Amino acid sequence: MINFLIGAGILACAILAVRENRLLVSALWLALTSALVSFLMYRVGAAEVAVVELSVGAGLVTVLFVFAINIIGNESVASQAPLPRPLAWVAIVLGGLLLAWMILPSMQLERFTAVLEQQGELAGLFRSVLWTDRSVDSLLQVVLIFSGVLAVLGLIGGEEGLESKEEKQG
Amino acid sequence: MIFSLPNIAIVVVLGLFGVGLYGVLISRNLIKVVVGLQIAVKGALVAFVLAGRLSSQVDVGQSLALTVIVADTIVAVVALALAVQVRRKFGTLDIPSLTSLRR
Amino acid sequence: MAGILIALCIGLPWAGALLVWWIGNDNPRWQHSLAVGFSAAGGLAALALIGLRSQGAGLSLKVGGAFGDFSFVPDGLSVYLTAIATVIGSLAVIFSIDYMRGEEQLGRYYALVLFFIGSMAGLVLTNNLFLMFLFWEITALCSYGLISFHNDDPKAVAGGIKALIITQLGGIGLLVAAILSYSYLGSFDTNLLLQKAPELPANVLTILAFGCLAAAAAKSAQFPFQTWLPDAMEAPTPVSALIHAATMVNAGVYLLARFYPAFAAVPNWREAVMLVGMISALMAALMALAANDLKRVLAYSTVSQLGYMVYAVGAGGVLASQFHLLSHSIFKALLFLGAGAVIHAAGTRDMRQMGGLGSQMPFVRTVFVAGALALAGVPVLNGFWSKELVLEAGLSGGPVWVFGLMIFTAALTALYTFRMVWMVFFGENRGGLHAHEAGAAMKTALAPLALGALVSWLLAGPFSRLLAETLPHHSIHALPTGEILLEVIKAPATYIALAAVALGLAAWWWREKLRLFSEALSGILWVAAHSFGFEAINRGVVSVTNDAAEDLRGSQTGLLNWNVLAIIIALVLVLLLLALGA
Repeated sequence: MINFLIGAGILACAILAVRENRLLVSALWLALTSALVSFLMYRVGAAEVAVVELSVGAGLVTVLFVFAINIIGNESVASQAPLPRPLAWVAIVLGGLLLAWMILPSMQLERFTAVLEQQGELAGLFRSVLWTDRSVDSLLQVVLIFSGVLAVLGLIGGEEGLESKEEKQG
Repeated sequence: MIFSLPNIAIVVVLGLFGVGLYGVLISRNLIKVVVGLQIAVKGALVAFVLAGRLSSQVDVGQSLALTVIVADTIVAVVALALAVQVRRKFGTLDIPSLTSLRR
Repeated sequence: MAGILIALCIGLPWAGALLVWWIGNDNPRWQHSLAVGFSAAGGLAALALIGLRSQGAGLSLKVGGAFGDFSFVPDGLSVYLTAIATVIGSLAVIFSIDYMRGEEQLGRYYALVLFFIGSMAGLVLTNNLFLMFLFWEITALCSYGLISFHNDDPKAVAGGIKALIITQLGGIGLLVAAILSYSYLGSFDTNLLLQKAPELPANVLTILAFGCLAAAAAKSAQFPFQTWLPDAMEAPTPVSALIHAATMVNAGVYLLARFYPAFAAVPNWREAVMLVGMISALMAALMALAANDLKRVLAYSTVSQLGYMVYAVGAGGVLASQFHLLSHSIFKALLFLGAGAVIHAAGTRDMRQMGGLGSQMPFVRTVFVAGALALAGVPVLNGFWSKELVLEAGLSGGPVWVFGLMIFTAALTALYTFRMVWMVFFGENRGGLHAHEAGAAMKTALAPLALGALVSWLLAGPFSRLLAETLPHHSIHALPTGEILLEVIKAPATYIALAAVALGLAAWWWREKLRLFSEALSGILWVAAHSFGFEAINRGVVSVTNDAAEDLRGSQTGLLNWNVLAIIIALVLVLLLLALGA
């Protein structure tokens, strides 16, 4: 039941974030979505990433959003869409249905619920998987973080507080 | 059974992905586009973790998700910084009035 | 130790590139000295690396399962090409001090040159096909950026785009080869490919072999891709010397030589390689005879000499082709840099305007003549020995009629070389040009190259040992210098070729008396001056690419939302395909 509530909450927050015309409020809804997503991840069994998501996704990114919106000014723009809404609806729904049609039959529930039972055996590998098997990713991440630091330095510029936060994330 | 964790998670994945992309499609404001992008990526994150969990390789899923989080954060940072610069240079964040291509 | 040196060979020029860029165009003195310092340090590292050659990986970066290890092997073939790239690179940079003095945007120039030097070292050192493709494209990118260096000149921009598009077209061949190798062997390792080549299915190996041939032909400006190189001459002359004569265009020959053992058994492959080399050599020599632009003559002669190397690889003479590559890098860099000094002093590239410049710039004349004699294949200069080795390999490994045409090309080479030297340095001063002698930095770069053109053939023995020791698949036999030279002297091919060279020389000497002959030739030369129609074909390829790009413009609204919609529609289409396929 709690899982259902989380899922419904996530979707509700996401829809509100997209519908909201005031930027600041939209960013706050995004933060709430992110927090709930991290909770869902924890429920699914990915505790480490859930923590990262909570701190980075809900924390840092929200701070960045608020900061950027502060600079820009909290303007609320016209809600008239630049392309016909029905078109967007059709594309999204079509994609979603196709995805669902392909994914759902392959969710053999008996097997997966069996997998969900065995909690203990799965933990403990995260570090070794991250650092040995996927060290390409780690290299790429270093490059990405570097470029992020450069972006913050070069573009928002002059605001010391944010730079140090950005570097902490690495 | 229909409200089991995998089912809920899959619906959340599809929902987040769809809502996020819909947001990207219909937003006129650059910042809102970034918000939509973030939501869509959240869907992908849950998908990674869920796929890892269901195939008993939760750590592989986690490390991929971590990479995506980092990449996504940097995307947000760069996009926001660009939006700030666009606002400073052109005085607006309205996408249709930003285009300079002939049509 | 070898690992550190490899990292230095690639890393030092790259670090220099960043630093030169970063220091900004307000400090040209610093830019000059930094560029020279970093490239020279890279050159020293590469020379030291020759002493540490080995078959095993010298440097290996573990990057997880997907791409295999990013490893670098300092075997004989790699280390000597690295040395050529970095040493001639540093000489070209030294030459640039005088040549580029007072130019705008030196940062961009030096950064691209240094970036190129490091990437070229990486390209020859790596034994990972994926990484090789990456470096391959980086060198193409640098070449494009440097050809179009004067980006306010439409000819330079067009030449750069042409070079980029045509080499990319060939690059697809290498990419296909890399992917096929990965999908059948589960690895990008080149040594594994050489080892397991016989076990691959025949058709796959054929695609691999001809993919590599296409890539090599495009990179080395061979038939039918040869027309990009002459247009690349819009680049600053040190760049032409470095990229379009001494290093990057050799990458194609390197690729063929590297994989020769794997592909030699593929039916028709060797014949195709020999034909590509022969046609390029002959055609380019004729075009060089018809050209009046000093740099274009040199460009055509580069194509022609590269044709010799490709021909030698096809005939099975990997050692001969690599030795000719070494000689050619030295004397062609010398010729280009000498031409650069002349152009810098005279202010024109048109040889009809020049003439009699020899008395005004005696030093440049002396070294240029040395390089020209090496190019013509006159005895005791390095070009003579290596060209004889190539011809000998061709006679023993290929059909006689191809050999005959190559001998004819040797005569043409001598003819156009003497024509070029005469038009520039001797005779009367037709344009009334006042040239000045080359500057100190130019002389510093020219002198070692001239010395190299005179004596590098003495290295034949150590060179053969260098290749023989570390290339287990190529079955090269190490011989002492004396034996190689004796072999050349004893071979009948040598005397035929010498006679051809003498004939070429005589044809130039008595050109007035051979009116009839030259009128008969003028028809051919007219066709040659129009590139045998290939110019039109290649221009067509480039303009089709450009037109397609123009037409696709209409689909660009510049609106983010529409672009995203297109992405989503593409996703839906992919999903539909998957759903239908399932």
